[in-house]
This record gives sequence, C-alpha cells and structure tokens, in this order.
Amino acid sequence: MIILLRKMKAFFCRDLLSEATYKIAFIMQMVGMLVSVLTYFFLSRLMADIGTHHLEAYGGNYFAFVLIGIAFISYLNFSITGLSGIIRRGQMLGTLEAILVTPTSIPTVIFSSSLYGFFWATVNVIIYLIFGSLFFGLDLGHANLTAAFTILLLTIISSTGLGIVSASFIMMLKRGDPVGWLFVQLSGLICGLYYPLSVLPEWLQTAAKIMPVTYSLEGMRMAILNGYSITQLAPTILTLCLFSIMILPSSLVLFQKALIKAKQDGSLTHY
Amino acid sequence: MSSAIRVSNLSKVFPVTKSYGELLFHPFRKKTVTALRGIDLQIEKGDLFGLLGSNGAGKTTLIKILCTLVLPTKGTAYIDGVDVCKDPGRIKPKLGYVIGDERSFYWRLTGRQNLRFFAVLNNIPQKEINPRVSYLLDLVGLTAHGEKMFKTYSTGMKKMLAIARGMLTNPDILIMDEPTSGLDPMVSRKIKNFIKGTLVNIEGKTVLMATHNLAEVEQLCSRIAVLDRGEVKATGTVEEIKATLSNRKRFVVGIDNFQKDLLEKIESISTVQNAWIKKNTKPFSSTQIEIEIAGEKDSASQLMESILAMGGRISLFQESSFSLEDVFSQLLIPKSA
Repeated sequence: MIILLRKMKAFFCRDLLSEATYKIAFIMQMVGMLVSVLTYFFLSRLMADIGTHHLEAYGGNYFAFVLIGIAFISYLNFSITGLSGIIRRGQMLGTLEAILVTPTSIPTVIFSSSLYGFFWATVNVIIYLIFGSLFFGLDLGHANLTAAFTILLLTIISSTGLGIVSASFIMMLKRGDPVGWLFVQLSGLICGLYYPLSVLPEWLQTAAKIMPVTYSLEGMRMAILNGYSITQLAPTILTLCLFSIMILPSSLVLFQKALIKAKQDGSLTHY
Repeated sequence: MSSAIRVSNLSKVFPVTKSYGELLFHPFRKKTVTALRGIDLQIEKGDLFGLLGSNGAGKTTLIKILCTLVLPTKGTAYIDGVDVCKDPGRIKPKLGYVIGDERSFYWRLTGRQNLRFFAVLNNIPQKEINPRVSYLLDLVGLTAHGEKMFKTYSTGMKKMLAIARGMLTNPDILIMDEPTSGLDPMVSRKIKNFIKGTLVNIEGKTVLMATHNLAEVEQLCSRIAVLDRGEVKATGTVEEIKATLSNRKRFVVGIDNFQKDLLEKIESISTVQNAWIKKNTKPFSSTQIEIEIAGEKDSASQLMESILAMGGRISLFQESSFSLEDVFSQLLIPKSA
C-alpha cells in the first residue's frame, strides 16, 4: 500500500513539475475559462425570458445551469478520454515502454497518471465556480457539499470504468476508440450538458437514461443549485452506484484481455 | 548455476495490419510476419554478449520478449532461471533495460528528477533513492548535469542517463538496445569503455547488447550471436565465428605487370571464390589483389603456380585474415543473393 501511494505521488509530481514548465499554456487556460464563462453569461442574458419553464427545476437561471454542467463535465471528459490519452501519450512519447519494464502494473500506471488530471479538473471546477459567483452572480448559498461530493465520487468511479474500456480499445486499436468518442459526443447532445432533458424529444430522453452522465449532471445541479440532500438524491445515487457496479469490474476484465492481446501482437508500445 | 539468459526454440509471429482491399476481399484471412524462428541462445553470467544483426533481423523483438513487453508465440526464455512468460514480476528486478530511444525520458524534467521517478517505480526504498541516484549520476559522469532539464542533454549524455536508469535496481543483467547508435566516435568510445571497463569488468554485470555495428561487437563482446531474419546464423566467440570460414583462405598478392585481363584469368581458376583489386593500390608500383580461395590442401601453392603460369610477376604473396564483417556478409549472403 505504501509503495502504491509512493508511486501515485511520483506520477503526480512528475506531471506537476512537467506542466509547471509550460507557463504560457497555464495562463492561456485561465483566460480560456474566463472567456467560456463570459460566453455562457451573455448567452444566458439572451435566454433570460425564453424557455425558462424548462429551467424551473434548477432555479430558472440558465447561466447557473450551464456553468455547473461545463464545470463538472471536465471530470467526465477526463475520466473517459484522459485515461486512454495516458496510454496513447505514453506510446507516442516512448515513455510507456520505460515504465512497463519496471515492477509497476498497468492499472497502477493508469490510475496514478490520472491523478494530476483529476486534480486539474478540480481546479477547473473551483475556478469556474469562483468566476461565476464573484463576477456573474452565481448563487452557491444553497449548495449541499456532502451530496455534491458523493455525486462527484460516483461520477468518477462510473466514468473511470468507461475510461478503462476506452483505454482498452486504445491499447488495441491505437486510434479510433469508439467508446470514448460515443460517450463524449452523446454527453453533449443528450445528457443535459447545455440544456435540460425536457427540451429533447421523448425518445432521446429515454436514450439519455442509459447514460451515467445524465444522472451525474442532474444530481450535481440539484445538490449545488437546490441544496438537495443525499436522501433526496437517493434514486440518482443508487442509479450511479448500479452503473459503477456494472461498468468497473467488467472494464477491468476487458482491460486485462486487451493487455494480453497487445503483448501477443507486440503492439503494447507501438503507436 | 543457471545461465544469466537462456532461450530455447523461441519463435514470434506478429499479425500484420491488412490493407483496405484485403479487409474487403479477405476479411478472415490472417496476415502475419515471422520475427523470430526457433531461437536458441545461452548467455552465461559475466558475459558481454553481442546480438548482431541488420535492421529487421529480430533483435528488438527478442529483447522485448526478454523484458516481458512481448509474449512469444512458441518456446521459452529464462532470465536467471526465471521464466519470462510465467513469472514476469520476478524478472523485472533482475533486469535493467537500457532503451536506446531517447524519447523514453521526460524531456522537461531534470536528469535527477527522471531517475528519481523511475527509482520509485522500481520500488527502491525512499531513503535509498537519493544516494542511489547520486551514485549513478556520478558513475556515468553526469553529476554536474543532474539538475539540468533532459532536453538540454547531448545525445551522449542521454545515452549515459539511459544506462544509469537501467542500473537503478543494481540488476545483475543489463539489456542494451543500440547503446551507441547516433553517437560521434569520441562519445561512442567513451560509452563502450564504460560498458566493458566499468559495467562488466568492475561491476560484474552480464550485458546483452543488440547492435548492427560490427566493429563495436568485435571490440567489446566476449561472445556473439548473428541474427538474420529471425534466425540465429552463428553463435560463439568472435574468433569461433570467424573460424566458420575456415574452409576459405584469403591472400594479398602483389603483381608487378598487372593487366586487367589477368584478374579475369585469376577469377577463372577453379579454387578461386573471389578476387578484387585492393583500393589502396598505388599507381606505378605492384598492383595488389585480394584473392579468396577454397582452403584445400596445397591451394595456396596451386594459386601461385597458376598466376605465374598466366605470366604474372609476383612480388608479394601474403595470407590475410578475415574480419567479422566478412563473416557477417558471408553468413547473410546466401539467402539475400
């Protein structure tokens, strides 16, 4: 366990030290986030009187609705595409081979390499919320942080499972991972990222129900904007638990099979 | 006592990516390429073993199998008595893999940070990491550059840092993939001296070195294997391998009155395998010709008599030795011809 923690710390420090050398990129990312917040702020002013009945369940404010969506989708996007990206980047950079000859398992490599990504996603969320509440009137006074944290944890677990499936495909196909592509594309379209589900036709609303992201975004908005407690969010939490139980173990089995296949094909470190 | 590395009947067949046409017309037909065919090798402890072969010979595939990165299709491979397929976890601490590719480091971290990172991944206890990293930086002559970013290192420094990384766990066996490729002669010599003088002679490591550089193998290695299209063509000491051409002899013959047609006549002698004019022949002096003949009894005197009979005035007749390059070409020629 201590060895695992030391390895996790080593990966985190590696990424932090490496990223810290890209100073301009850091500043540009901050500016990009501010521009993004501004865009949605002005969009919300345009939509102030249009379709607000769709937003009633979330307090009626489009800016608050969309800001929570784009802030937390970064966790999801990182979980799904970031993990496979770690494998792909390691293959492209040539560092994966050097890591794999050490006594470090690939799951450890993936989970440890993802720490910085999750840390950075958290920083993004905090900055989005700070921008929103300080400059654009986002009201976080009702937020139930315990419930929000619970939803976040379950979101990470369930989407990490999808990320591992995605990483398995990347390990075998190198490019063109269908799982990551599908979930990232669909989360923007049908999972209520930019608009409430109620604006969608019924068949798309039904499709959205098989996506864990839908429940994550819904639960997060209810916890932060409406202050829902864990008890009030029990159905959402249970659904996310169910997704996690189904996806995570099966993704690990798939990953193990992909690893053996890559070693047989000699493609583990190819790109 | 088990060998450092033992490989028996090792084969590897890789699937090949199909073209769109093949996918369309023969979707279920398997397309493969054989990288290794029934390789047998035994490397003893303390050996500096050269794995010699041209590009595509299968050197890297063999190394990756030994390093547990690729699974063989058939056969077995043991590192210090441990099966690389059945027990990869026990192989890793015994083995240091010196990767020739400089991209295998983090370019925006310092040399010391890189080594510290890989030290943690190698399960080196926390309190031993700094002394070990400092020792290795000193060993490879990079102490003064330890705090500089890897991207500022010269190619030679990068290769040295790769060796230091391979030595992190103080393994008994080091596997090196082209450790001197892309280096200028001075730095190359420095690294070769380090491998033989320090790693093998002082530290007592077993080194398996893959290379296509014949001179390097001849200078360094106690034993070699010549690999060609996935097959071991010859194995043994450099002298033993050179002796595989013992049925041949090579002579340098100086001829005072040399004329072009004489070379054709010499080539037509039944025992002559090959004949050519030496490049360093000066004008107005005797022309030196190198002649390879089948090494039968009296073949040298027969050759001399034949040249004299053709009217050649011989001023020099000297036997010369084969180089490893000659042996290498000889071993690889039959199939490519």
